Amino acid sequence: MLEIKDLHASVGGRKVLDGISLTVPAGEVHAIMGPNGSGKSTLSYVLAGRPGYEVTGGSVLFRGQDLLALAPEERAQAGVFLGFQYPVEIPGVNNVYLLKAALNAARKHRGLPEVDAFEFLQLVRSKMKLMQMDEAFLSRGVNEGFSGGEKKRNEILQMLVLEPALALLDETDSGLDIDALKVVANGVNTLRAPDRSIVLVTHYQRLLDHIRPDRVHVLARGRILRSGGPELALELEARGYDWLLAEAAA
Amino acid sequence: MTASPTSAPGSALPSTCEENWRYAPLRGLERLQWTPPAALTDDAIASARALLGDTEATGARWTFIDGHFAAALSSGPSPQASAAADATDSGADLAFARLNRSHAAVPVTLRIPADTTLDLELACVAQSVGHPAFIIEVGSGAKLRLVEQHLGAANALTNLWLQLRLAPGARVEHSRLLQPASGARHFETLQLRLDAGAELHLVQLTTGGAATRSTALVDLAGADATLRWHTAMLGAGQQAHDAYVRVTHDAPGARTEQAYRGIAADRSRIAFNGHMRVTSRARGANSDQTLRSLLAGPAAEANARPQLEIDTDDVRASHGATVGKLDADMLFYLLSRGIAPDAAESLLKWAFVSDVLAKLPDAALRARFETAIAPLLPGAEAARSLA
Repeated sequence: MLEIKDLHASVGGRKVLDGISLTVPAGEVHAIMGPNGSGKSTLSYVLAGRPGYEVTGGSVLFRGQDLLALAPEERAQAGVFLGFQYPVEIPGVNNVYLLKAALNAARKHRGLPEVDAFEFLQLVRSKMKLMQMDEAFLSRGVNEGFSGGEKKRNEILQMLVLEPALALLDETDSGLDIDALKVVANGVNTLRAPDRSIVLVTHYQRLLDHIRPDRVHVLARGRILRSGGPELALELEARGYDWLLAEAAA
Repeated sequence: MTASPTSAPGSALPSTCEENWRYAPLRGLERLQWTPPAALTDDAIASARALLGDTEATGARWTFIDGHFAAALSSGPSPQASAAADATDSGADLAFARLNRSHAAVPVTLRIPADTTLDLELACVAQSVGHPAFIIEVGSGAKLRLVEQHLGAANALTNLWLQLRLAPGARVEHSRLLQPASGARHFETLQLRLDAGAELHLVQLTTGGAATRSTALVDLAGADATLRWHTAMLGAGQQAHDAYVRVTHDAPGARTEQAYRGIAADRSRIAFNGHMRVTSRARGANSDQTLRSLLAGPAAEANARPQLEIDTDDVRASHGATVGKLDADMLFYLLSRGIAPDAAESLLKWAFVSDVLAKLPDAALRARFETAIAPLLPGAEAARSLA
């Protein structure tokens, strides 16, 4: 699904990713963990194509296609979804419009006609129920006046409606209380499928109590320091990151 | 100095050296033909009918073509003409009003009796040259829902003068759509006076044409008079749009809420000057102003100027003015959801002016105003029905 080879990237002339190699097969959930400033968010943004994040070396294949050659909207249409750490508020553009426009953009890419208005509303309502969101929110501006937790739920709602092939969730667990965390995790789990991959970027083990990853990677100083099974996350929870950084420096 | 009706206005017009006219599109005006046609022709009526198309007025509609009343395209009571005092003030702010008065001999006068309600649409069609002139007096406790639309033929010239007086307790919802055709110019002078407890909610959308200049002088003359003034301006191509709104709070408790949203695309120039005056008589006055412009073209120009002039201590006044570009984070968010760049930009521009359009009194009117700007915002049409 996703094949990253020796990826280097810089932001504002500062090197942030320093040779990342990572393969995420279809059907798997991978967690990327690491201390603050390790390059986790940069990796998400580079994969989504955010302007200002300059790739200086390496390659990224998504379903065998050169992902880095695509514009941000083409990546999304092809099935890459970024769940933002800090979703932006867009007053005046309402949620239901954004959902519909995004879904139709993806459908157009697949050669499908625009979604039927009735079916669309049914789909959105069922996903909102799953995310325990109030329907009144549909007519509100995108993320306008939402709490941190509501914004994260909204990201997952969008993901559930769009059903991407690859979901990159950037610290989707941050700012969530335990109940909201369960709702969000449940939303993510319903999307697990053999033809879909999910990359969770997170600081903490607690999200992984609810979403069991197939693989865990530790990212620090712009590199993957170690990869392992779910037990690696538990070890990090117990021991922190310093021992890994010390080992890497040795 | 008053211009002769047959001559070019020449020195009677202000110049951009004057403070309130700095960004006004005044170049070349002395070379224009300012004399309106003597009478309506059948051709003018036929093309105005085509232009007005299927827009339906909910109440009475008065249609004027180049300032002449077109009975065939109107409904409801006939307008009355009555002599009015000329605009005698010699200041530059009323220069276009004087020019109007020298060409339009008799203004149309509408008097709305106390405690009555009227729903009226004024459709002003510019075919060649027009100086429409209106005096509207809203009686004590009366309610007026006024929709004013300006449209017309390419390269036409309009110089509107409108005087609106609200007696104590009167309420007016005034929705204005300025939509001159390509190459057309629209100048206007609005003189508005609110007595005690009167309320005026004005929403204005300016788009199209070659150049517009709107001068509005508002006098909050009575205690607790309330003004809500919402303006959106969209410039494209090489258009120039300029507005000067002077609000004088001249009685205790006078209140103003003013919001301006302007988008300058391509090589257009837009300017808004919001001048708030609070006299020593206006104790407890309240003035709240937000002026925001968006630069959406590499060679576009936008000016937003708040001006505060306060002569009393007992006042609450806030103002903010910004000129910026489309928010890069918002844009990327939309792109990351698969929305094409052109559509994403249109959507953000749409959202930017929606603050103003949301103040229109009903959904049908809002749809009409949105139709006027839809061609400028390709890809965002689908947002309308859902807004």
